[in-house]
Amino acid sequence: MKKGSLWVVTMLCVLAVLGMASVTVAADKVRGVTDTEILIGQWGPQTGPAALWGAVGRATGVYFQMINDQGGIHGRKIKYFLRDDAYQPAKTKAIAKELVEDVGVFAMVGGVGTSCGMAVRDYLTKENNVPWVSPASGSSHWTQPFNTFIFSTFPQYFEESYVLTQYAVEKMGKKKIAFFYQNDDYGKEGLDGAKKYMSDAGMQLVAEVPVEVTDTDLKTHALKLKESGAEVVILWVLPKHGAMILGVSKAIGFDPQFIAASTLSDPDLMFTVTKGLWKGVMYGNFVNMDSPLVKKYLEAQKKYAPNEKYTGLFYLAGFYFAEPLVKGLELAGKDLTPEKFVKAMEQIKDWNDWLGYGCTFTPTDHQGVKSVYIEQCGDNGARVKVSDWLVYKPKK
Amino acid sequence: MSLVGDLIIGGLSIGACYALVALAMVIIYKTSEVPNFAQGEMAMISTFVAYTMMESYGLGFWTSGALTLLFALGLGAVLEISFLRPAKNPTILSLIVITLGAEMILYGLAGWRWGAMQLPFAVPFSEYSGISPGGVMITEMNMWTFAVSIVLMAFLFLFFRFTTLGTAMKAVQQNPFAAKAMGIPTRRILTFTWALSSVTGAVAGMLIAPVSTLDPNMMLDPMLKGFAAAVLGGMTSLPGAAIGGYLLGLIENFFGGYVSLEFKSVVAFGVIVVILCVRPSGLFVRHYVKKV
Repeated sequence: MKKGSLWVVTMLCVLAVLGMASVTVAADKVRGVTDTEILIGQWGPQTGPAALWGAVGRATGVYFQMINDQGGIHGRKIKYFLRDDAYQPAKTKAIAKELVEDVGVFAMVGGVGTSCGMAVRDYLTKENNVPWVSPASGSSHWTQPFNTFIFSTFPQYFEESYVLTQYAVEKMGKKKIAFFYQNDDYGKEGLDGAKKYMSDAGMQLVAEVPVEVTDTDLKTHALKLKESGAEVVILWVLPKHGAMILGVSKAIGFDPQFIAASTLSDPDLMFTVTKGLWKGVMYGNFVNMDSPLVKKYLEAQKKYAPNEKYTGLFYLAGFYFAEPLVKGLELAGKDLTPEKFVKAMEQIKDWNDWLGYGCTFTPTDHQGVKSVYIEQCGDNGARVKVSDWLVYKPKK
Repeated sequence: MSLVGDLIIGGLSIGACYALVALAMVIIYKTSEVPNFAQGEMAMISTFVAYTMMESYGLGFWTSGALTLLFALGLGAVLEISFLRPAKNPTILSLIVITLGAEMILYGLAGWRWGAMQLPFAVPFSEYSGISPGGVMITEMNMWTFAVSIVLMAFLFLFFRFTTLGTAMKAVQQNPFAAKAMGIPTRRILTFTWALSSVTGAVAGMLIAPVSTLDPNMMLDPMLKGFAAAVLGGMTSLPGAAIGGYLLGLIENFFGGYVSLEFKSVVAFGVIVVILCVRPSGLFVRHYVKKV
């Protein structure tokens, strides 16, 4: 026993000394920044139910390789750590801990999933002051309440839903709007946006139909939507459910105008999955497909990741989410600290020289992008632009 | 009135798929008392194989379908031989855990081989048109689902009733030791059970995929519902499990249509709890107490 406790005491002393050592090192050094490198981390589902969105993290890697080959940022190369969390918040938590405490990253970028992000939001930004650029979800939890270290470039579901509903009513002249949503934060924030617009306009949704993530039989849902007599059905669901509700609706002779969230903005994919039914569906999009950068990035993909199977919209989003980070690192200058980085990000105003539109951060508002535009799926999944950028401006 | 009709058709259509999954479960459970949790993923892998034959090798739907059933037969047998048989003096629990392991392996395999993207599963009959007596739409897909499930069920029923192999399988279930003493090759019978169950599951997979799109997660929900249906009807009764499947489909749809869509999926599990309290052996099985 005595010997055992002596051991423990010795180990504790050693640990204490080591701990102090690492504290003293940390004091004169910025975590994740060396003379030659900046360490950046991201999690993203490479396996599991949301693996399709894992393309985001892989594309970010290609983007950083491209930046490094162009000479890096102020003489430093980006060293990138991508981890698979399989869309499970518990794993995201472990990854965040590893990236911050073992690897020691300077910042996080992207990161798919509202609940995954929520699991680590406070750990990253409140406890460890890790800047986090572009959480890859349109939740309002990133910027409300205001968070110094988070910069969101994903238009909020609430705001997007508001402008899509507004478009359906004011530009398309529709009155009977129904809402088909996933029964969780993602779907409900969309639903709230649509309801807000409808109440601002003195109207009401004709139906609100929820779907559970695991549902495989949507007939009852389609019947409910049909019963409401809706002219427009707005979709805030998974690609799978988007595809299914179109099929089932057609089978019961229900043919409204469908308008989908930007999370379903890959018409090529949706057209194939629905065997052509997706044609005519309108959807929000925040990645500027007219930008010459699209071509440049896809060439980078051919060079750095020639085996990539999927290069659709979610892949491009991986570039989109990382661009503001690189912009901020450039603006922050050679002498990089988290605080200087935040200051630099807050200087970005009406920035359009990337895949997004009108990116603006201020010291009081870190929701950088508030606009989407509407596209429609054409023949064989072609993109047909139907509106210009629509900016969220609440009527009341 | 038309809503009721639509709900009935919808309920029976998804119910037929639950019934097939339930049957697949019961076939294995009857002979070995092991609920096979890899059932769903086995069906999913088979459906992917059918998809690959159609898309990559350009085979027709019926050819691919038939070859897939052969594949499923092999898959079931191989899994039994390579996963369950090597277990030394297994308890029921350890066998269940093995099926869970097999489930994860198959799930990972599908993700690695085919990716996570939704894929369209094309069938040569329409999912959108058909006949509509009294304003209730019955699509060609619905009709095929009914027809295929009923034919398969009839086949299974006759098989267990009138063939030597079927009778041998029942014997193994009732008393493995005596069956062995009577010269029944119990090991081979077990392997065959898995093969037969796998084929039944594969048919369910191919009926679900055209409507729900194909991806590695597609069988998660039907598998749980099929299990619920089997518990509802009775884990040891083939007709019970089949009727349980149809009932569950109807209950779900009517609950969703008239009570609450939010709790539509949960209702299946509520049903299990009630049944386990009231009639633990299931609706269609006489309560059977093993004498020691």
